Amino acid sequence: MVEEGLSALAAILERCRLNHTTQSRPPNILQSLLAIQKALGSVPLHAVGEIAHALEVTEADVAGVLSYYPELRTRPPGRHLIRICIGESCVANHCDRVLAALRDALNIDVGETTMDGRFTVQRIYCVGNCAVGPSLMVDDDVHGRVAPQKVGELLNEYE
Amino acid sequence: MTRLYLSNDTSARAAGADRLAKAWAHTPGLELIRTSSRGAFFLEPLVERDMPGGRVAWSNVTPDDLPRILAGSGGAPVSQIPFLSRQTRVTFANFGVTQPLSLDEYSACGGTKGLERARQLSPGAMIEELKVSRLRGRGGAAFPVWNKWQIARETASDRKYVVANADEGDAGTYCDRMIMEGEPFRLIEGMLICARAIGADTGYIYCRKEYPAAAGTLRAAIERAERAGLLGSGPPGSHGTGFHLEVLVGAGSYVVGEETALLESLEGRRGVVQARPPYPAVSGLYGRPTIVSNVLTFAIVPSILARGGEWYASMGTERSRGTVVLQIGGRVKQPGLVEIPFGATLEEVLERFGGGMAPGARFKAVQVGGPLGSLFPASRLGIRICYDAFAEAGAILGHGGIVVYDDETDMVELARHFMAFTADESCGKCTPCRIGSVRGREILERIQVGRGRPGDLDLLADLGETMKTASLCAFGGRAPYPVLTAIEHFGEEFRRLMK
Ligand SMILES: Cc1cc2nc3c(=O)[nH]c(=O)nc-3n(C[C@H](O)[C@H](O)[C@H](O)COP(=O)(O)O)c2cc1C
Ligand code: FES
Repeated sequence: MVEEGLSALAAILERCRLNHTTQSRPPNILQSLLAIQKALGSVPLHAVGEIAHALEVTEADVAGVLSYYPELRTRPPGRHLIRICIGESCVANHCDRVLAALRDALNIDVGETTMDGRFTVQRIYCVGNCAVGPSLMVDDDVHGRVAPQKVGELLNEYE
Repeated sequence: MTRLYLSNDTSARAAGADRLAKAWAHTPGLELIRTSSRGAFFLEPLVERDMPGGRVAWSNVTPDDLPRILAGSGGAPVSQIPFLSRQTRVTFANFGVTQPLSLDEYSACGGTKGLERARQLSPGAMIEELKVSRLRGRGGAAFPVWNKWQIARETASDRKYVVANADEGDAGTYCDRMIMEGEPFRLIEGMLICARAIGADTGYIYCRKEYPAAAGTLRAAIERAERAGLLGSGPPGSHGTGFHLEVLVGAGSYVVGEETALLESLEGRRGVVQARPPYPAVSGLYGRPTIVSNVLTFAIVPSILARGGEWYASMGTERSRGTVVLQIGGRVKQPGLVEIPFGATLEEVLERFGGGMAPGARFKAVQVGGPLGSLFPASRLGIRICYDAFAEAGAILGHGGIVVYDDETDMVELARHFMAFTADESCGKCTPCRIGSVRGREILERIQVGRGRPGDLDLLADLGETMKTASLCAFGGRAPYPVLTAIEHFGEEFRRLMK
């Protein structure tokens, strides 16, 4: 498993490196990390050295980008990522009640993953669904007009 | 064969459009066309069909409504929906009508006319047309578009770039998302015109991570535009193959929407604000002249080229020309997208389009311009929607977001939420914003639990003043406004907790 992950990492890094050499400009650290996260589910901290080496930048450069962006993760999330919107339009639509229902249904707080590894909950500021809020994004699906009492039912769709 | 139209917009889908599509997928004799959305989201899912005299619509449709729709009973002509018929749709004229990825439909509805006109004009004449239109950027700063283009055009360089800011960070706004999902060719056309005017061969669309459907639609549209010969298909830098356009997706962060931070992020670094000058139009992406503009700004440009700057400037107020795109959300009866000439009052917009409050809700306050925008109580709704009136009131129009709060909203908690947001999202480059936001949050937290100290409200005012004047960018500079306007208009709620 670890080895598979590492060779996948090497392949992505090779692609990222090629990408920037053909365009004769500095490597794009953010896009490289996003590609790694897409393939591996996260950017493991222990890979920072290898990434820095392959992109010919310092480890501090890589770690700096990794820690700056909220969507980059050093540990894989649960099978499904739930993002509850706390943007102002959803606040106005009382998303605090949806968040409470979510906590009740899953027994976890924001930033945590359920024991069975099924769900991770994150907060997000707006998913552009403000006219149909309160909004809940599960993976890439946006759910609108989410009623607190329907949260459990909604989550049943995700195995 | 009966043809029904159903939107494929993310919010239409979030309201149940996909459920209808799934339920009706195998209905014999039914053809389902997925279009953009009209933006009348309170009616979604909205199903339309062609009838003599134009489209007829059924609103808030459930799967069981199909027989009714097929029988043609109970629908309302789209032209008689007041929320829509009262608008002046320019940029959003085709929304709800066409299929997002059909270049033929786009052209048939007036698309690509702006580009055709641009091809007949010299770069200088194109920029002159924009000058006459008096278009100002819609990303928040409202800088004259022609001026920025002129600077980039006049700055000599081996390469120039065009960048669409599709970070749409303001909560309560969604018009950029609708454009990217609903009429991606309009954005592409606007960027192409800009590229011709300044002499750029490469463009990027920096799309926020929260918009996966928009990024997917854009990529598909770019591919089609390449096949149609509108865009170059060679790798960037292969001169002579036309304009190369690419979508890059971000990784969260509000501040990345600020133009210098956006360019840092586009180059793959931490999205931290940089001191200006130099402005991106002089030295932007990879140190080259770069036009960074908002998605909506680019999307307006084709209409101006096609119909003339004078026509555009004939709408709106003295210093705010053209149409304003408002996005109404929160506790109103009719949330959705509204495009009207600048100049209506906030009250008119909330009544005529918002339709008043949602059932059972009572008005408390409205916030205009996103998370950095000021709050208005009922007594201040007479303000005109234009840049001048808002600037005079110390408020911002921002990206056109309007969020209505009801009387169950706790203003102290809301103020704490604003400061927590600022603390969460500050890029950390300047001290007033990085430290000030944390101090502000702490003060509000202690007021909230009844431990407020005498003078805390003055302290917040002081802190706000420091952030306003000493922050590096408008993020720290504007962050105090929602908090201070909450205290100004709803001070009693704060003081009650401090007794
Ligand atoms: C904190 C901050 C966040 C911003 N976020 C956005 C954004 O999400 N989208 C956007 O178009 N402009 C945003 N802007 C404005 C940009 O800096 C820039 O002015 C704009 O993209 C220029 O485009 P325009 O001329 O079309 O308005 C933001 C500015 C600040 C200070
Ligand atoms: S504020 Fe929640 S979707 Fe925009």
